[in-house]
Amino acid sequence: MKVKFDKTLAASITLHVLVLGWGIVSFSTKALEMPPEESVPVDVISADQLAHVMAGMKSGKKENPKPLVEKVADAKPVEDAVGKITEKAPVVTDTAPPPPPKVEEKPIEKKPDPPKPVAEAKPKEEPKPIEKKPDPPKVDPIAEALKKEEKKPPPKPQVQAATPPPQKPKERTFDQSKIAALLDKRDPSRQAVAGETLNSNAALGLSKGKAADNSATWGSMFQSQVERCWKKPYGGIESQNPEAAFTIRLKRDGTLEGMPAPEGTPATPYLRVYQESALRAIIECQPYNLPAAFFDEWKYFAPVFTERKT
Amino acid sequence: MKPLQMTEKDRTPVMPFRLSRRQLLSGMASLGVITGGPAFGQKRLIIPEGDFAPLPIAIPNFVAGTPSDGEVAVGVTQVITNNLKRSGLFAPIDQAAYIEKVVNIDAAPQFANWKTISAQALVTGRMTRQPDGRLKAEFRLWDVATGQQLTGQQYFTSPEYWRRIAHIISDQIYERLTGEKGYFDSRVVFVDETGAKERRVKKLALMDQDGANVRYLTRGTDLVLTPRFSPSTQEITYMEFGQGDPRVYLYNIETGQREIVGNFPGMSFSPRFSPDGQRIIMSLQQGGNSNLFVMDLRSKSTTRLTDTPAIDTSPSYAPDGTRLCFESDRGGKPQIYVMPATGGSAQRISFGDGTYSTPVWSPRGDYIAFTKQGGGQFSIGIIKPDGSGERILTSGFHNEGPTFAPNGRVLMFFRDPGGSGGPSLFTVDISGRNEQRVPTPGFASDPAWSPLLS
Repeated sequence: MKVKFDKTLAASITLHVLVLGWGIVSFSTKALEMPPEESVPVDVISADQLAHVMAGMKSGKKENPKPLVEKVADAKPVEDAVGKITEKAPVVTDTAPPPPPKVEEKPIEKKPDPPKPVAEAKPKEEPKPIEKKPDPPKVDPIAEALKKEEKKPPPKPQVQAATPPPQKPKERTFDQSKIAALLDKRDPSRQAVAGETLNSNAALGLSKGKAADNSATWGSMFQSQVERCWKKPYGGIESQNPEAAFTIRLKRDGTLEGMPAPEGTPATPYLRVYQESALRAIIECQPYNLPAAFFDEWKYFAPVFTERKT
Repeated sequence: MKPLQMTEKDRTPVMPFRLSRRQLLSGMASLGVITGGPAFGQKRLIIPEGDFAPLPIAIPNFVAGTPSDGEVAVGVTQVITNNLKRSGLFAPIDQAAYIEKVVNIDAAPQFANWKTISAQALVTGRMTRQPDGRLKAEFRLWDVATGQQLTGQQYFTSPEYWRRIAHIISDQIYERLTGEKGYFDSRVVFVDETGAKERRVKKLALMDQDGANVRYLTRGTDLVLTPRFSPSTQEITYMEFGQGDPRVYLYNIETGQREIVGNFPGMSFSPRFSPDGQRIIMSLQQGGNSNLFVMDLRSKSTTRLTDTPAIDTSPSYAPDGTRLCFESDRGGKPQIYVMPATGGSAQRISFGDGTYSTPVWSPRGDYIAFTKQGGGQFSIGIIKPDGSGERILTSGFHNEGPTFAPNGRVLMFFRDPGGSGGPSLFTVDISGRNEQRVPTPGFASDPAWSPLLS
């Protein structure tokens, strides 16, 4: 019995050792890969700051009233905009039919809106629109409303208030042919150009804008540096998907501690040439200027030169 | 009995236990993957898709072994530099930038001096006239970054063959640094054209691939066309308009002998050698049609390969000799077809707009080059033997007659700009890069590249 028990124990131990050893050897060779990545500039901001960023136009304009222009030009009606807007106004009302009760509600809501534009750009204009509800008032609120991309709901109430009953009778119909008329065809930069209103978009970049690539990761820094020296051999038009991997050790000053060790022996003359070209590049481009903070990461790593599409 | 039972009893409980233990083990192993992976392997940094760039190479003048060898040493250096530069794969560094002057090629160079001028490879060499009158050429190719000697050779030759030595050294450097066979030690036969356009004199001429050592093979009394090199011997086959119908001739470069290939009624034209050099395949005219025939040069026996009421012409063998491509208008317009070398059913491989002609199979076997006519332009292009991967390398008023370099990487063709001028020869990489004019004494057309001489 004892002997048998020992056998199973021994078998168990050897099996464990074998399997674990196999796992260590075979899986550890598959190292962590660092795919090339584009760096993205990141700012750390507080919740308050975020709230400011996300805040609507009101707060933004109040904070920096005159960001773009020092002097606000005399207020004069924007002829183009006025014309287009008045034409569009009826269409807008058609598409979205607000019953009379809403009219009452919305004016209250929107009263805040008109003041803002006034505060920003057209102090002189505002009084007029308010007094003369018939024509000019419509223009300003609508224009402002359009700017704020709240186009449909806000303008309607006021327009309706100005020209109350006549337009309401129209039934709510969706006229496809008038979709085009709903689009704001005005030049987006008209305000800043005119100087009559302040352009609320004071940011240097736009939402799609990308700040200059500042190579935030040491990986992309190494890549950009080694690529300067890499004279990739021309492999013809038939892709051979070459790949050459090395393990390299760097000193703190960015120089190589020793010769890069190539992984594997190339199978074809071209692969050998490819490997040699990469080796030349690694040697020639030292010392590497990499962030010292990440020295522990880049003191020993494996650059892989590859044409393979993963 | 008893022990047997015991063992059976043991087995039954143990088996399920073992199974579960195995499962446990595999589970632990997979755990080991997660924890062991990052711990054992270092970070792998992927560096993808660098741009191709010509290799900066320094080729200082070869050292003269004796004072009288200075001229040939400089000449060899210039030929090598020119060859590598023309290939488009190397960027020889101007000698004016060199810091170090190589005086002794037996000692390792000061690599720091070459790193400073950004050279990645360095060629040093020496030319020495031997007491027996021969010329000794030595060279070494160095990897500047690692300080390793990549290759080195020495050759002995007659002094008049110094250019060939330079081409052979160029091939060695090219092969070592690109992984491909070179093509510099080769020649080109072409039709040299002189005189006014109406009375053009066309002579068969031979030159080195870089345009040097031009030598005329015919006197120009009769019109010559479509010369083709034998892949294995120093022989040329071509078509000549003699007193009657055009005939296919065979010409031995070494002896100057020439003979008519076969004696056929009607025209024989567009000849080409088989890969072993033992047969010539050509077109024979029969009424309004022409068909492909192959003639064994030893037995003089002729075999007919196609029999169609169409014009089949421009045959070219695959390098392994099992198939051939040719041009035929059996489908209406001239197109490229591939068929077994012994005849049989042909498969059309070109389907683009326009017409395709003068197909020629690459010595590597991977591509067929052609002339394409369409849209008022003549283009040179390549296509895979299965009809895929067609690409146009160059287009213009008139480009025609592609021929492959021995390594299949470069094409030579002739281009006629039109007007009162005449055609000249160009080379282009099969990727379409690096188009270069080949210097010739006069106008030139119908080039045919020889195999490597060595």
